[in-house]
This record gives sequence, C-alpha cells and structure tokens, in this order.
Amino acid sequence: MSRALRKFSCGVLCVSGLFLAFTGIGTFLFGKPPMTHWVLMAHVAVAPLFALGLVAVALTWSDRCQCGGQSSLSALAKALFWVILLAGLVVILSGVLPMTPLFDTTGEHLLYLTHRYSAIVLIGAILLHLPLLALSKDGLNRRDRR
Amino acid sequence: MRQSPSQFSRWAPFGGAVRQIICTLGRASRLLLSAWVLIYCNHGFLFAEDVHTESRTPFLHNIPLHDAQGRIISPPALLGDDGKPQEAKANPYSTALTCGKCHDYDAISQGWHFNADSGTAKPGRPGEPWILTDPATHTQIPLSYRGWAGTFKPSEVGLSDYQFVTNFARHFPGGGPGEPGKIRGRMAVTGALEIDCLICHQTAGRYDHEARFNALKAENFRWTPTIAAGLGSFASSRSAGSIADSVRPDRPAPATLPAIKYNRDRFDTENNVTFQVSRRSPVNNCYYCHTSQAELGDARWHSDLDVHIKAGLLCVDCHRNGLDHAIVRGYEGEEKDRTITDTAIDLRKQLIRRDNTTISEDDAKKLAKQQLQSEVGKIETLTCRGCHTDGRLGSPRLVHKGLPPIHFEKLTCTACHSGPLPTSEEQVVHTSMAHKLGLPAPERGKNTAPVVIEPVFLRGADGKIGPYKMVWPSFWARLNGNKLTPMLPAEAATNFTLPQIASEDVARDPYNTKPLTDSQIQKALASFSGGLSNGDPVFIAAGKIYRVDKGALNSWEFAAAKPYAWALAHDVRPAAQALGARGCADCHAKDSPMYFATVAARGPVEANAGLRKEMWELRGDDKSVASFFAFTFHFRLLLKCIVFACAFVILGVLLHFGLRGLGAISARAGLAGKDKT
Repeated sequence: MSRALRKFSCGVLCVSGLFLAFTGIGTFLFGKPPMTHWVLMAHVAVAPLFALGLVAVALTWSDRCQCGGQSSLSALAKALFWVILLAGLVVILSGVLPMTPLFDTTGEHLLYLTHRYSAIVLIGAILLHLPLLALSKDGLNRRDRR
Repeated sequence: MRQSPSQFSRWAPFGGAVRQIICTLGRASRLLLSAWVLIYCNHGFLFAEDVHTESRTPFLHNIPLHDAQGRIISPPALLGDDGKPQEAKANPYSTALTCGKCHDYDAISQGWHFNADSGTAKPGRPGEPWILTDPATHTQIPLSYRGWAGTFKPSEVGLSDYQFVTNFARHFPGGGPGEPGKIRGRMAVTGALEIDCLICHQTAGRYDHEARFNALKAENFRWTPTIAAGLGSFASSRSAGSIADSVRPDRPAPATLPAIKYNRDRFDTENNVTFQVSRRSPVNNCYYCHTSQAELGDARWHSDLDVHIKAGLLCVDCHRNGLDHAIVRGYEGEEKDRTITDTAIDLRKQLIRRDNTTISEDDAKKLAKQQLQSEVGKIETLTCRGCHTDGRLGSPRLVHKGLPPIHFEKLTCTACHSGPLPTSEEQVVHTSMAHKLGLPAPERGKNTAPVVIEPVFLRGADGKIGPYKMVWPSFWARLNGNKLTPMLPAEAATNFTLPQIASEDVARDPYNTKPLTDSQIQKALASFSGGLSNGDPVFIAAGKIYRVDKGALNSWEFAAAKPYAWALAHDVRPAAQALGARGCADCHAKDSPMYFATVAARGPVEANAGLRKEMWELRGDDKSVASFFAFTFHFRLLLKCIVFACAFVILGVLLHFGLRGLGAISARAGLAGKDKT
C-alpha cells in the first residue's frame, strides 16, 4: 500500500472521528443532550465517512500493526490500533443497529449506551495513538520501507 | 362531617323495626334507647358511618333516604287515616346526608371533579375547559376555575357561580360552585347542587340524564338528584327557578317549597331504597361527560373505541382514586401536581392511631403525611409508561423494535398511540362537555359551535410533543388599551345588532353555523350601543381581533385570540395502528402531518379569514430542519448498507489478524514445547 493512501485513510478517520466526537461528546459536554436537529443530521451524515475511513485504515495499517510484524511501531501503538479497530466496529454497529427492527426498547437503550461509551474509548485510543504514530520510525511521516 | 350521629342506620345490628320505632320517638327517647343498646350489646355502639364491608363484592345499598335536614324520608302511607289515597310526597333526598352517612362527603367534595373553584387544588396539566357557547351571538369562551393559561375564570367574564352552574351543571356532577359554603340569593330557594354520587357510581342504567338536565334548566337544584335517580318527580307546576324569581332579594326564602312525588315502588316495606351502585364506575357513566367523538353523525359506527376498553378495562382501572376522590389523571409528572389535603391527612391519622394506640397525635400526623406522600409517588405506575413498563393489569410490555430511544425523550406516548391518525388537515371532534353530547338535540355537525379540532401536535410543558385538542375563542368584547373584556352573550345581544338567522334556515341550520362576513362584522361593530367609555367594541374570532378604525374593518393576530389547547389521551389505538408502525416516513416525510399538516383557525368567520399555520409553526419548530431531516431519510437505506458493509470488512480484518495472531501464539507455544523436549 502506498504511503499516501495510508496517510489519507488515517486523515479521513481522524478528521471524521474528531468531528463525530465534537458533535457527539461535545453535545453532552457543552450543549444540551440529546443531539437533535442540524447537529444530529451532521453527525449521521459524517458517520459513513468515518466507517469508510475505518475500513481504509484497517486495510492499510493492519499488516504493520500485527503482533510480531516487521514494523518499528511500538507495542503500545500496535495495541492501540487494534483497540481503535475494535471500538470503531462497536461504534458503527451500535450506531446503525438501532435503525433496524431487531432490538426492543431495552436493547435500543443498551445500544445507545454502548455507542456512547465505545465512542469515548475510540476517541481516547485515537488521541493516544496519533502521537505514538508520529514519533515512530514507521509512522505517518516516514518513507515506506517496503 | 355532615353525618347526624343521632340517626340510626339499618346496619346497626338492631333491625328495621327498631329503627322505625326510633324514628317516631323524640330525641331524648332516642338517647335513652341508645344508651340501652350500648349496654345491651356490650361491644360498643355502631353508627352507619362506623361500619365498612371492605369486601370486593359490591355492598347492596338498600338504605333509607335522608333529606337535607337529616330526616329519614318516609312517604306517607298509601291510604290516610280517613281511608283516602295519599300521594307519596316528601322532601327530596340529600346525597350529602344519605350517601354521606357512610362515605365522608367532605373528603369526597375535595376530589378532582369538585375542587376546581376551591383555590387549594393545584391546576395541574391544562385540561378540557368549559366552553360558554351561544350560536346566536357566535360566542365561544373557554372557561375554567383552575386558571389554565388561555381560559378565562368565570368571574373574569362576569359569570357568577350560580350562572356557571345553570350553564354547565348538565355535565357537572355537583359540588364545587354548585354547593357554596353559604347558601344565599336564589340558592336559598333552589337549594345547593350537591354532588350526585349516582352519576358516576350507579350501575343499574336507570339514571336519567335528560330528566336531570330538565330539572337543572328549571333550577330545581335541590330536587335534581332525586328526579335523575328516577325516585320521583317534581310535585309542583311551578319550578324553583320561578319561585326564586318572585322572592325579593332582601326577603327570606319561602318556608314551604315543592316536594317530590315519590314512586312508591322504589321503597320497600321498611322504607329503604335499593341503589345499584359500584365503587368501580362503569365505562358508560364516564362516557356521559367524557365522550370524545371524531366520527360525527352516522359515521360513529366506524369508531373502534379505546383499545383498553375493548380489552375489558374500565376507565377507573387507571384513573383511580381513594376516598378523597383525587382521581389519577394519568399524565407523567402528575405526582408533582397533587395536593395532599388536610382531610386526607386527618383520615390517615385516625387509621394510624387505631392501629397504634401509643402514638402521639403529632407523630401520627407526621406519619400520615409521609405515607400519603409516598403513595402519591405510586401514581406514576398508572401512567401509560408506568403500566406498560411493569406489565400492570396484564398490559403488554414496551417493545418498540427499531425505535431509537430519543423518541421517548421527544414524544409523549400519546403522540403515536392516541386519537385519530393525523391527516393533512385537522379533524373536527365533538366532546360531551362542549357539545352537550348525551342530551337529545338536533344532530350536531362539523361546524356546530364550538368547533374543536384534533389532533394538533404541540409541545407540552415537559418539552415533549403530543397530540392536543384545540379551540379558538370567539366573542364580542371591549378593548381598552391592551385590556380585553369579553361580553357575555346576553350583553352582546343587547349591544350589537347581529345578523339574524333566516326563519327558513332554522330547521336546516339550528346551530347558526353560517359564518359572518367581514361586512357583517363591520356592521355589527358599528352598531355598538354600549358606550365607548369602557373601550372600543371588538370581535375576537379564529385567532384574530376585528376592530373598526376610521370606518374600515381591520383584523390582526391577537394574543387573547390564541387557541386554547389541551392534551388528548384517548382513544388509544393498538400498537399495530400507532404512528411509526408503517415506518419512519409516518413522521419523517416531507408531507408528514405531524410537521406539515395545516391547522386552520376555526370560528364563526369565513373559511379563509382565520389564521392558518402548519404544525411545525405552532410548535415553534424550524421548518428547514424538519424538511431536511425528512429528506435525509431517502438516504437512510444507503447509510445502513455502507455501514454494514464497512462493519463486515472490519470484522473480516479483525478475524483474519486475530486468527493469525492465535496461530502465531500457538506455533510459538509448540516450538517452546519442542525446545524443552
């Protein structure tokens, strides 16, 4: 995979993720929950972009982040990558499953809470992962050694 | 307590014969006899008010009637001493002193149906107002003693309590303004309108609402419960109202007033009367005052009625009350609006002290208050949410598959489940209180005043959107600065020359539904003969105020012309017919009635003369948000497909590398094992 694609996928994920965090978590911290109106629509509109970004990151970065792989990334950075991937999967599924007629009120509420807390974990992992990535030899600004 | 402890009841364990003897004896003899009974029985003396059955089986109310003086009513024998037939004439019975013998009338009279004018009860969520309606003057004024915003208190429009009773007692169970603390004026003749327990509690189907209405029209208040119960008829050709007309205000009321001619067959040999009553009021009794009919005229057969009624529940299964008759209205947050009366505390205190003889008066009062406050909290379980969360009364538990939880924060349960399904235009609804349903009258149509519409989706005090009924006030008034003083129909008829309905139209249009044109309004306002010192004449209708300025009729939106709306809760539709059962587009579509239905102000003016607003506008919502949000639903499927596809790929990556990782761990473990060997 080219460095540009890796960089691009990472950028998409970070920008969309931070936007979603701003609209989602930001509403709870600084606004009046729950999300409604334009904020909700913007949140939902950016969500597919985030999902696509997550897929791109999964495809372009997973090989470098596998345990024992040939990469200069630290073990913590690798672990955080998998946390991001796992939390991201939970976030997008718990975001879209309430739109299907599969869960009752209790299930819907559980999904809502899952979405909320997994998103917090995801954003935390992204924010931790980014500096580690920037510092590593194999990070965003390093040449592809392959 | 209105009970007269000197009266024996048949439930005292001494039999009817003894009671008959007692009734014929003087007070002193009765006291002596009481003392004898007390000693004889050796286990205390029991009055009727002291005994209770406490069974779920309704008690057979074969009881003596008492008049307003507390005397037992015994119609004269069929034949007099001279052998001549005698009429069964006697005083009307008093519910306060008949039913009140065992059921604390004072506590009952503080109940929700009777306490509107007490000033002590919290108003709670705005409910259905009384609407003073007069087709001849095109008047419809929402009234309430509770001070709900958008209604007038009767005194604010110059309506006395007595006039209120004569106008609305047709669907008012008595008490409250019908039973003021001090009886004076016309009521000294007509008597108070006591709470008529049978309106709600009779189960025999013999209660005659039309006879009650006629008795009320004649101002025979004191006689009304007796006549309506079918116990007898008014034994005079002259009504109490006409007698009151002839009494000068400064003179005392006549000592002799008309009697009731009782039906002898309602009395048994011991002069007891059997009332078929139940604590659990039948649905049809509630319907007399609480019918709400959106299918008008012959279309009534289309109505499915409320799903709870169809399931076999009674109204009182949810709308419960204790002795204080503080009936549960059933909305969320009602517990904050409840008042714990001193009477209720007193009653509970007595029970506490009965069960704990060592507790002090003060401690018992404190404990009583705590208990009652704790019980008030329990009424939350009788709301829609409360019942369907707990599965109470066998209610299906909340499922709502696929409905994001935000809907529960934004909508009331009734928004999706109650009233008729919303359409692009509002629907006219008739209610008992507004349209005198239950009483014979020419068939009411969709323009019969007052025109009430539903469902209008508004935001309540809790911020949730729910369905409402809505009515626009309409009246002639004086405007002095910003102060608007409505005129009662009689005053309006005197001061304005209003268009008269053509005699040939009376039969076709008995409710004078022909709308007023602008020129008719202008002529009427110009004809005002009431003097301008108290303000200019104006007309309020369909959300606007009409006034003549410099010879021209002007109209504009006016605060006092705003509609009055109250939440509707019934009829409840089953889940399969709820809004949203057919998908998100029930509400989130560009033509969804919940947002984009037009609400046209209704009143006695031409159809296009009133205000017209869409639902989002009435709620103060943003149309662009609603429209764009509806637009986004076109992409909802695409969104789901993208996200699920992405989730599938990510899951694949996680599994792939997860399994590889496991394989590597397994391989290393294998190598380590080989090294050891």
